[in-house]
Amino acid sequence: MPRRMRLIVLSITFLAVLVSLVPRLWASRFPGDHTGYAPPQPLDYSHRLHAGELAIPCMYCHSGAERSRHAGIPSANVCMNCHKYVSAPIGAIRAEEDKAKAEQRKPRTIVSPEIRKLYDALGLDAKMNPDPKKTPVPIEWMQVHRLPDFTYFDHRAHVSAGVTCQKCHGPVETMERMRQYNNLSMGWCVNCHRDAHANGINGKKVSPSLDCAACHY
Amino acid sequence: MSKRQDPSGRSPSAPAKAFDEVRGEGPWPSAASRRDFLKLAGFSFAALALPGCGRAEEHRAIPFLDKPEAVTPGRASWFATMCSGCEAGCGILGKFRDGRPVKIEGNAQHPLSAGGVCAVGQAGVLSLYDAQRLGAPRAGGTETTWENVDAAIRERLAAVGAGGVRVLSGTRNGPTSEAAIREFLAAFSNGRHVSYDAVSSSALLDAHAALFGRRMLPHFRFERARVIASFDADFLGTWISPVEFTRGYRAGRSLADGGARFSRHYQFESRLSLTGCSADRRVAFAPGAHGAALSNLAVLLAKKAGRTRPWAPVDDAGVPGEALEDLADALWSAPRGETLVVCGTNRVDDQKVAAWINHLLGNYGDTQSVKTIDIQQPSRQRMGDDRALATLRREIADGKVAALITVGCNPVYDLPDGAGLVKDLEKVGLVVSCASHMDETASAAHYVCPDHHTLESWNDAEPLEGMVSVSQPLVRPLRKTRAFIESLAAWRGKPQSAYDQMRRVWKRSVFKRQADHASFDRFWNAAVHDGFASLAPQEGDLPRFHHDRVGPAKGPAAAGGDALSLVLYPKIAMGDGRHAHNPWLHELPDPVSKVAWDNYAALSPATAARLQVETGDVVVLEAGGRSLELPALVQPGQHASAVAVALGYGRVGTDRFHAVGPQWIEGEPTVEKGGQVGINAAAFLHVADGRLSYDTVRVAVRKTHRRHELARTQLYDSLHVPKHLAKPGEHARPIAQEATLDAWRNNPSAGGHAAHAFKELWPDDHKYTGHHWHMAIDLTACTGCSACVISCQAENNVPVVGKDETRRKRDMSWIRIDRYYDGDGEDVDVIHQPMLCQHCDNAPCESVCPVLATVHSSEGLNQQVYNRCVGTRYCSNNCPYKTRKFNWFSYAHDDTFQNMVLNPDVAVRSRGVMEKCSFCVQRIQEAKFEAKRLGRELADGDIRPACMQSCPADAIRFGDGNDKESLVARQRGDPRGYRVLAELDVRPSVTYLRRIRNRKEHAKGEVSHG
Repeated sequence: MPRRMRLIVLSITFLAVLVSLVPRLWASRFPGDHTGYAPPQPLDYSHRLHAGELAIPCMYCHSGAERSRHAGIPSANVCMNCHKYVSAPIGAIRAEEDKAKAEQRKPRTIVSPEIRKLYDALGLDAKMNPDPKKTPVPIEWMQVHRLPDFTYFDHRAHVSAGVTCQKCHGPVETMERMRQYNNLSMGWCVNCHRDAHANGINGKKVSPSLDCAACHY
Repeated sequence: MSKRQDPSGRSPSAPAKAFDEVRGEGPWPSAASRRDFLKLAGFSFAALALPGCGRAEEHRAIPFLDKPEAVTPGRASWFATMCSGCEAGCGILGKFRDGRPVKIEGNAQHPLSAGGVCAVGQAGVLSLYDAQRLGAPRAGGTETTWENVDAAIRERLAAVGAGGVRVLSGTRNGPTSEAAIREFLAAFSNGRHVSYDAVSSSALLDAHAALFGRRMLPHFRFERARVIASFDADFLGTWISPVEFTRGYRAGRSLADGGARFSRHYQFESRLSLTGCSADRRVAFAPGAHGAALSNLAVLLAKKAGRTRPWAPVDDAGVPGEALEDLADALWSAPRGETLVVCGTNRVDDQKVAAWINHLLGNYGDTQSVKTIDIQQPSRQRMGDDRALATLRREIADGKVAALITVGCNPVYDLPDGAGLVKDLEKVGLVVSCASHMDETASAAHYVCPDHHTLESWNDAEPLEGMVSVSQPLVRPLRKTRAFIESLAAWRGKPQSAYDQMRRVWKRSVFKRQADHASFDRFWNAAVHDGFASLAPQEGDLPRFHHDRVGPAKGPAAAGGDALSLVLYPKIAMGDGRHAHNPWLHELPDPVSKVAWDNYAALSPATAARLQVETGDVVVLEAGGRSLELPALVQPGQHASAVAVALGYGRVGTDRFHAVGPQWIEGEPTVEKGGQVGINAAAFLHVADGRLSYDTVRVAVRKTHRRHELARTQLYDSLHVPKHLAKPGEHARPIAQEATLDAWRNNPSAGGHAAHAFKELWPDDHKYTGHHWHMAIDLTACTGCSACVISCQAENNVPVVGKDETRRKRDMSWIRIDRYYDGDGEDVDVIHQPMLCQHCDNAPCESVCPVLATVHSSEGLNQQVYNRCVGTRYCSNNCPYKTRKFNWFSYAHDDTFQNMVLNPDVAVRSRGVMEKCSFCVQRIQEAKFEAKRLGRELADGDIRPACMQSCPADAIRFGDGNDKESLVARQRGDPRGYRVLAELDVRPSVTYLRRIRNRKEHAKGEVSHG
């Protein structure tokens, strides 16, 4: 009897472990594959809003993609091109305006908590002027896409060849929080190079390299 | 399963075994073990896969808050500035990448250096990130603040009264520094600026002062000379302005138009210098015989000119009569004004005779036409005055100096009696050193006020009269240092930034001397952008030459019999020792001796045999009660009576290299704890006629029974095939080939070897339809200066391995300068050959790699894939050129400050990985991407590998061999071109162009080396 009990207990435990591992099985990846990696960022920036809804071109902020190896994360002064004037969602500002009208007073400046973080980083006061009492602190974004140190990827070459940003980064314009969409493995890179070699990019003939030294040096 | 073929195909005759039969055989003792293995493998796979589910390692990306417009992360900017490795004032471009300077390259627009930089200049970027550079001023040996130091110095200076205030410096020729020193000294009744050069050319200036009535350094124009005679002037290596001279020398040895303008170069010297290696005729003569030789040459030339003999020929056993007559014929048969005689000694009599000869040959020119020696726009690259230094030395000893400020010099180390000077400095009320390290002089100073690194500061220099170089900062000062001119301004109570001082001085004095720009700001911006400004030449007549002030130069009595004379000289990398904290320069093998990390006593083979000394034996040099212990080196080509020792070693602070290189159980430290790299030979300098003398001290050499293994990177000195191995008619391996000019004129492929024709088995494979990268190296142009070696090291993150690893042949440089001797004894021919990965199209390394870590690219590059390499080293064993380097260790990269010099465009290799020259593939990629971005085709010259960029002689070309118009394709088709080891059919992508020597038929056969 105890022996039988043991068998039953063991079997149930085994099954429970197995069942608990099932979702992991679907999510299992090779080492170094960070597909789906979407770390929380210090500032809840929404690509869906900016790139999707507002349709700001990618290269407006990531201007390095045209000129440099790195696309670059925009410096805070680029954000300020708009956010000098836009300090909160338009709905909140309109609501405040309506409310002010109703109360017959001047509308107050509404600053959303996330945009407040941007102003704090720049050390700005309420009037958007540098506050000498505050120390500007650069925003420490979490890096999402990362290649190993022995791999040299160049954005400039891909942008000039006509590869769209979404080809590698996925539907960024739908992402609330930035997420790694593709696995960025070598096989994935090479497949695309092969495909582009055979079919071109948007009908344009290109000759992407398949040499090791194209990326590894 | 039953008819399974052996996939290796190695034993096709063996019967194919069924799977079941295989079971139980091999390394697995039983069937169960095999199953265990599979289970283990499955488990390992799972264990490996599971971490994949985990979170990624967190990395942060921190952008600018307010990005400067000119900065794009990942994109390099280049700024023109000035090299301060020596006083030559070459123009450089600093590569600024993501906030830090990472590379120094030549400024192609600069009138002097025209795109070249020497090894020392290139290594300057490493010194910027030297953790031992002083980070704050010091008072009495402890760190303090600038306010405290300034207050104390001002107080002491106020109390100086009528006492002497002296600023002692190396050559400072910039208008701003000169003005700052002048303004500072004007506040004192007895102030004076004294400058000296540790490797002095004072006599050359003094001779011109005597003969022309104006103390000046003539500007030598080697490109205009058809015949060059150098008496111990190492002008391609270390003398005055080697980069500029190399460029000029190269321009004067053009093979265009059948070599119509190919100069003939005679070198008379007692040691074997780098310049001697390039000479068409080289004559080894006794140290100190220069004066007699020059005097006799003057007599010979006067006779040809039909002048009365200036003096009777000097009778000196050390003078080679026949060679002088040959030289006199060559000089006289060349057109007037197109020859050049230079003398490297520091004796006024020698220099006067050399000037007399140049004048007789019309080389000084006139106001209408500039000849080979320009005194209308003289050089200011050496301004040191040894006699003023001697006076100052006496004043210090007599206690007449109240305040001494030293900058850009290290007198306690440089001068013969350093210990005595330290003692005498106690009599000086205030000693301030502006050294950047706690060097010998700084240790004896009351206050140390460290100057900036050149990449941190505003500065200027006027290397030629009317040619001002500008130095602009590439980075904010990394430590709390201060520009010397700012210190001077602070001490005179009028603090002003270096930038403001420079603009003030330029507005006041420099701007007036130019005519190109109407507004000062435009002139300033253009000068800062270009890195230099050309000013209008000074009008007026040339100073008159006074014949009557020249007499025969006797020089010291020649050593008779077996007596030996000491010759002190600067080495290519170490110079006068000011860069002793730079490990790149220590590890750069001397291009002649191929020794790194040490200085040594070089003896001629005959002398070494007589003394029974071999390379590596420790010998004692004794003279006048002083003695030095040094390892000996047998140096072919050196005169039998010379013992040559390099200056610049034995610097205080070089014990820092104790821990350089890997630390492992059998490793030996590069220096003992508390020791020094090399030995300081300055004690053997002596002062003759008020000037430092480098080559006349008689020494006795005594052998000890100790050994000191030198770190030599090349142990095969000759390409001659041993008799018992040689085929009939074969005497040398055709690796470094050469021909005489006449032979080449008759047959452009003279000096070549009949090539064996190979049949291509798969002609349709690997067609290289796109680019096909090729390199061409012109051995006629290459002087062996080794600038490419340091350039490559900086570009490709090549580590420093230390002396012990170098001894074990584990040096990591991707390009090396091979040096071969032909002949022995005093009369040797030398050829230098840069050797790097040849990127063979039939690469032997590729076929042996078991993991495909080295494969060929579609553009002809032999690629090394570090992340695939498992370190079998098969490739290195199979490489006929031995250009592959293995990472035996993870070479120290824990100096995080120094790591800032690493090039972010090239991976840092780890232990167990093979590496080698990549033809600077990162630059190829960069150029391709940039061309693509700009929507244009890649043009010839867009890609400049690091070695090619820095070459002062333009000896290296790189480009697309498939582009028939490219320079490299044309050079590849040149009949002078050959491939090294072409007989192996490895099809190297590097073409060497044969060395052409301008000499009459070679005594040893037309082709010596190959």
